[in-house]
Parts: sequence; C-alpha cells; structure tokens
Amino acid sequence: MTTYPGTGPVIHDPVTLPVDDNVNAYTFCVELKGSEWFLQKGKMIAYYGSMEFNGIGHGRLDRLVRTSFHSPLHASDWVVASGSGKMLLADRAFDVNSFDLEEGNLTIRSGNLLAFQPTLALKQSIVPGFLTLIGTGKFVAASNGPVVFMEPPIRVDPQALVGWADCPSPCHHYDHAYMTGLIGGLRAMTGLGGASGEEHQFEFVGAGTVLLQSSEALLAEQAAGMVPNEPGVPGGGGAPGHPGQPGGAPRLPGQLGDLQRRFGL
Amino acid sequence: MATPCGYRHPVAMFRLQGSKVLAVDMTGDAVKAKNGSMVAYDGQMAFKKLSGGGEGVRGMVTRRITGEQMTLMEVKGQGTCWFADRASEINLVSLQGDKLFVESSNLLATGSGLRTGTSFTGMRGASQGNGLFTTTVEGHGQAAIMSDGPAVVLRVSSQYPLTVDPGAYIAHQGDLRQSFQSGVTFRTFLGEGGGEAFQIRFEGDGVVYVQPSERNSIAGDV
Repeated sequence: MTTYPGTGPVIHDPVTLPVDDNVNAYTFCVELKGSEWFLQKGKMIAYYGSMEFNGIGHGRLDRLVRTSFHSPLHASDWVVASGSGKMLLADRAFDVNSFDLEEGNLTIRSGNLLAFQPTLALKQSIVPGFLTLIGTGKFVAASNGPVVFMEPPIRVDPQALVGWADCPSPCHHYDHAYMTGLIGGLRAMTGLGGASGEEHQFEFVGAGTVLLQSSEALLAEQAAGMVPNEPGVPGGGGAPGHPGQPGGAPRLPGQLGDLQRRFGL
Repeated sequence: MATPCGYRHPVAMFRLQGSKVLAVDMTGDAVKAKNGSMVAYDGQMAFKKLSGGGEGVRGMVTRRITGEQMTLMEVKGQGTCWFADRASEINLVSLQGDKLFVESSNLLATGSGLRTGTSFTGMRGASQGNGLFTTTVEGHGQAAIMSDGPAVVLRVSSQYPLTVDPGAYIAHQGDLRQSFQSGVTFRTFLGEGGGEAFQIRFEGDGVVYVQPSERNSIAGDV
C-alpha cells in the first residue's frame, strides 16, 4: 500500500462527517441536535458547533441521570454532552465501534464503554467490573483490535472478553485436571513446569452473543463503583479499588488454586 | 502534487508505505528528519546531525530557551530513504507557502524547501503539558507528522469554528486564530467537572489535525 502525494488526506468538515458513525476505525462521530449523550470523561477529541459537557452531578441533568444512569458510585467518570453539532470521540487510539440495542441488554467491561445514548439505561452488573446497558439505543465501545461476535456455547479467554448480550450464564471454567494437587498449585502459581496460561476461561452457554476483542491486552479498568456492602451482593465489602483483575497485567493462571488457600491460610 | 517550479532544483518526494513508514525519494537534495528515525535506505545517503534543528545559532538558542527542543538530522543523497518512529502513524502535509504549526514531538520529517522555527502558543501549550511553545514549518514542500492512531483532518472555516481537546491536538495549518477556553467551574473542584475543562477553539480558515488518543495532560483529569 503506497500513497502518493496528490491524493492527500481526507479533510473533514461538519457536512462530510458521518452521523453517528465511524470516521475511521479509531474515531467515532456523534451528531447532537439538541439531544444528549453520556460520555466517559475526557474521550471527546474535537467538536463543531456548540456543546456543553457537564458532570453527572449537574442539577439540570438530575432527571436524565435518574432515568438512564444507575451506577451512582461511578458517576464521576461520566459526563453528559448536550447541545448541537458534531463531536468526535476516541480512546487512546483503540478501535471504536458503535452497537445498536433494540429492547435488549448487553453487559460490557467497564473500561470498554465510551459513550451511550440516554435512551439506554446504564446499570452496574452483578459481575464486578462490568456494566449493563438495557433498552433501545446506540452505544460506542472501544476494544483492543476489532470486535468479534461469537455464539455460545463458547469458552473465552478472560482477557479477550469485551462483553456479552442476552446470555445470562457467564461463569468461570478451570481445567482442573491440570491444576489440582500441590504440584498443580505450584505450577499455577509460578508457571514453572509448563502452565499454558489458558487453564482458566469464561464459559457462556445459552442463546445470545459474546463479544471478543482480537487481542488479550486489557483496556485499563474503569472503576465501576463499589457495590453496597450487603450480604449476598457479589463484590460487596471487597477491598476498595480492585473490582476484578489488576488492569493490564496478565493474571496468574488459575487463581482458584493459590497457595494460601491450599494451606488454609 | 503541484510542486512549485523554479524552487531549488530537485525536490524530495514523500510517500507513505503503509501508514507507519515514510519513504522519501531523493535526487541529490536534502531533507530534515527526526534524529534516529531512519529505518532503511538504498542508494547513497549521508546523515548529518543538525544542532539546533538547522535553524542557526539564534534558532538553537531559542529552542534551548523555549524548551521546544528537537533533534534533527539532515539526510542528503540519491535513492530512497525510509523513516519511522515507534510505530506511530504518519501523516503527510503539503505546504504551499503557508505555515504548519506542530508539536516538535510530532514532527518526523520536512522537505528541503521548508524552514522550521518556534512560535509562542500561550495557554494551549501549558494545558497539554507541552510547554508554551510550538514548532512552525513554512515554505513549499512536504512535511510528515506523527500521531497516535491515524490523524483526523478537520477543516475550519468561518461558518464552522472547531473546538479541540488539547490532548488530541497535533498540528494545524492555514490562517487560524486559536483561543483557549476553560470550562473550569466550582464543580471542577468538587470533582464533578465535565472532563473537558480545557479546550482550544480554532476560528478562521485552515485545517486542524487531531489524533484519536489523548496525551496525558491535566486537561484530561478535570
């Protein structure tokens, strides 16, 4: 692929920019016509027209926030864009894509969600570190590499999982045969003796769609907010600030079998 | 590409090979490029470090004072030379007597007919953590600028002013006025800021290059 001078770059203006569509694989254009969008903080890179970005705590937006925003504890990471014009969104040069939901639900890793229309309701998922969108509307998500859609039953690598729609059964799956016993535990802890790094997967069954990114590099985790510390609430009362995996670093294979647990510590 | 004739004799031809490698075909002339960015060449090439970006003693002192430092080399010869820098996306800009404003860290190479210099940017530079000065490129010819992810080129005209996040801004070209907008309110200090507290507004006539990524800057956090 060689580009010769003369062809030049494509120069966009508000007329040629797409409406609620990708400008290129890494940049998404949203058109606002007196409407509103929820954005993750700091993901706007440029806009034409007149727009206002308000933190979720803004009084005028209370009604909107009440109807479409249900993760109060991570509200400070979100802003509402309102006004009219065209706005470009991007996230650290990751691939961005928009998805349409129609009377549906989709659960997505919190760091991957960039923006959504207020016709969707955002809720914290029961699964720590994930958010669920319910309703009809468009949302924009970032991923490291293009997104692949898969049908369950499927087992996926935890680092490649972006989210899932409609399937209610995400669960852990371990290759137990390889990880049991003291030696297995040591192997899982240290990687000595040949851990493949794939002993632990997420398993999905039932009808639905699973979204995967085409790399195993996680996007930095966005805090999804703590959940109330109540009995029966998964993740409730956990140490603050680690709702899931440490961002970016690959996990030790098989956290199930760490040594402390084996020795009853 | 309408290269003005009567300007120096041979003019190096810039072209992209893929989106992350710049190939320059040279016939005895010289181009300036970021120090150490050569990845391959064929033919005969000579590489010479340019102290102070080839802007003379005055330019060198200016750059030292303004902190807009840039280490350039001059590449002269016959053949093709390939440049790349840490797998950044490369964008070609052609200049016909107009001026390109670019961050020195985003400038990869400039053709022989271009001069580089420094200019004051004011608050914009401060808000994106790049200092108060920026690099200018002017003359006739081509320049290659780098971005994190392919740059989006946005036209600014009198009826369409543009507002840009300082962290995503990489360069602009043409007759543009820039003004600095601050959305800092009492809410920012309560931790409920809009996340876009600092913005640069461009008015006039020209184009602005933005990258699909934001540098770490204080503007991204408030």
